[in-house]
Amino acid sequence: MSKSSSKVTVGLVANPFSARDIRRVISNATSLQVSDRAQIVMRVLSGLRGCGVRKVLMMPEKGGIIRLLKRDLQRYQQMGNNRFPELELTDTPISGTVEDTFAATKAMVDSGVKTIVVLGGDGTHRAVAKFCRQVPIAGISTGTNNAFPEHREPTITGLAVGLASTGRVPESVALSPNKLLRIDINGGERHDIALVDIVVSTERYIGARALWRTENLRELFVTFSDPEVIGMSAIAGLLEPVSRNDPGGVHVSLDVPEAASTLLQVPIAPGLIRTVGLQSWQRIEAGIPIILKRSSGTIALDGERELEFGTEDNVQVTLHENAFRTVDVGACMRYTGKHRLFVGTPLDLLPT
Amino acid sequence: MTDNPFPLSREELLKIYQSMRTIREFEERVHVEFSRGDIPGFVHLYAGEEASATGIMTHLRQEDRIASTHRGHGHCIAKGVDVKGMMAEIFGKKIGVCGGKGGSMHIADLDKGMMGANGILGAGAPLACGAALAAKYRGNGDIAISFIGDGASNQGTFLESLNLASIWNLPVIFVVENNGYAESTSVDWAVAGDSYVDRAAGFGMPGITVDGTDFFAVYEAAGEVIRNAREGGGPSLLECKMIRFFGHFEGDAQTYRAVGEVDEIRANRDCIKSFSKTVTSAGVLTQDDLEACDSKIVSLVDEAVSEAREADFPTEADLLTDVYVNY
Repeated sequence: MSKSSSKVTVGLVANPFSARDIRRVISNATSLQVSDRAQIVMRVLSGLRGCGVRKVLMMPEKGGIIRLLKRDLQRYQQMGNNRFPELELTDTPISGTVEDTFAATKAMVDSGVKTIVVLGGDGTHRAVAKFCRQVPIAGISTGTNNAFPEHREPTITGLAVGLASTGRVPESVALSPNKLLRIDINGGERHDIALVDIVVSTERYIGARALWRTENLRELFVTFSDPEVIGMSAIAGLLEPVSRNDPGGVHVSLDVPEAASTLLQVPIAPGLIRTVGLQSWQRIEAGIPIILKRSSGTIALDGERELEFGTEDNVQVTLHENAFRTVDVGACMRYTGKHRLFVGTPLDLLPT
Repeated sequence: MTDNPFPLSREELLKIYQSMRTIREFEERVHVEFSRGDIPGFVHLYAGEEASATGIMTHLRQEDRIASTHRGHGHCIAKGVDVKGMMAEIFGKKIGVCGGKGGSMHIADLDKGMMGANGILGAGAPLACGAALAAKYRGNGDIAISFIGDGASNQGTFLESLNLASIWNLPVIFVVENNGYAESTSVDWAVAGDSYVDRAAGFGMPGITVDGTDFFAVYEAAGEVIRNAREGGGPSLLECKMIRFFGHFEGDAQTYRAVGEVDEIRANRDCIKSFSKTVTSAGVLTQDDLEACDSKIVSLVDEAVSEAREADFPTEADLLTDVYVNY
């Protein structure tokens, strides 16, 4: 273990409120309990410490995760078991809103964290990606329709992040570039990003945020389209699969099924397969703005309605490549196995 | 004619605005009248929380039953209880909806499906289960709603009701109106598990959290849980995260709140302002529509106060009426 690894700090954002929305009723979605989220964080911490990360800087919250973490960490400490890194909280306000994630991410970047681990859904990852700049993120899915974060054992994610953050796996292997979609209203007067999809619906209110009335969908933009995921991006995934690493994205024009030229069955939420009406679809290139066809409605970013717009607004969507970086957990672990990084090397644990 | 991008007609949206504004005007006026010392007992005001009551009640039929809390004026108005009768009841007058013998915390109107505000924390949940059991036996698709505060959700009655509702698959919705404070104690200090959705999951029922200051968020979520209950899908829990403009009770100095907290939420998180902005910017209602509605509501509440002041108190003989019921 290199001496420098002890100075490595990793950031951690754990959203206590993801997976609490209306999809618990309109579909068969589950909710991950706060105590389960705390245990996921413990597994990440264990993996990080096992690779030499001594300090983790975490977003403060009042949803219960940190309270449970402190209790568990104190218990382990009393037992003389120090197999977890020191946990410090960012000095940022707690409002119980996405603003907490924005502020904490900025504070983590400013303090020089090597990587930010994110527990949440696509929306939480989007919030971190808005402010993480060149600091890579590593996602763990605790949301509902997650297309962006991978479903993986958090201990392994912790190990991979530790390996990447301490430099034991080189950047060229450990990190992957990602695409994003940027939406601009009236030349940037209002703007935002999406990591997976932007959906335009006819509804003119944010409401319960989630999208499930497929008859109201009119346009879809995706950075990647995976036929193995559920949610809005699955529409494109079942028409024109594009991987995270492929150049370009997909733009789909939709309509009510009665007026559509083609119908498609899509798993839009857990256990919920709906019919959508299609007009057309095409690949899109990075850097070329596309003006929305729809003149008013609501724009959903990564599955949640976020922005309203009207006839007076000019709205355009642009795909960007190499926008931010993520830890490629699979690549890190394959490299570790191939180079036998864990063989004969004692884990960097303090005496127990 | 402007396209209507809402799931409600223009007339329905106007009615919703009217309901929310009536609650606000009623509560602001009770705040003033109480400070004059003419209202007996305590009052707990619902101002700031109108989107929750109205977003839920918009889906209800008159036959659906609700069990309210000590902070019940908003629930009563949204369920259709007569505003003048409510004001008279709060003033303790004989023309009140309960003959002036209930006061603010016991307003009830069974003809409207309002089983009562309730001065006992958590006491409404078992009542709602009873109403839901009756509805289930009748098989007519009626449902019951139990409103409960974040503090009362720690009461045994509430947790027992969740259990009962789940094992009997009752058509009941538990609405946790989480305004952040159990009297003066923050939920951060008082609620184990930290999540009401987790509590619901522990009893095998779905739970949803919504922004209770957004009418359309409450309306959409409530619509789905109520539809689910009517169709035999059983109970659900709906947590509405909301704010109250006034203290726990009138006279509460609110020293537990941050300086400027109330000013900030009145300026930036007023559910009526956000509803008005949404419907007018879409061109479905106009500012003139809303202002015309406002002036009628002010007149209605003025009349309610005047009539309440002039009305008689109950007599000694009235003490012995309405005590027992013949079935």
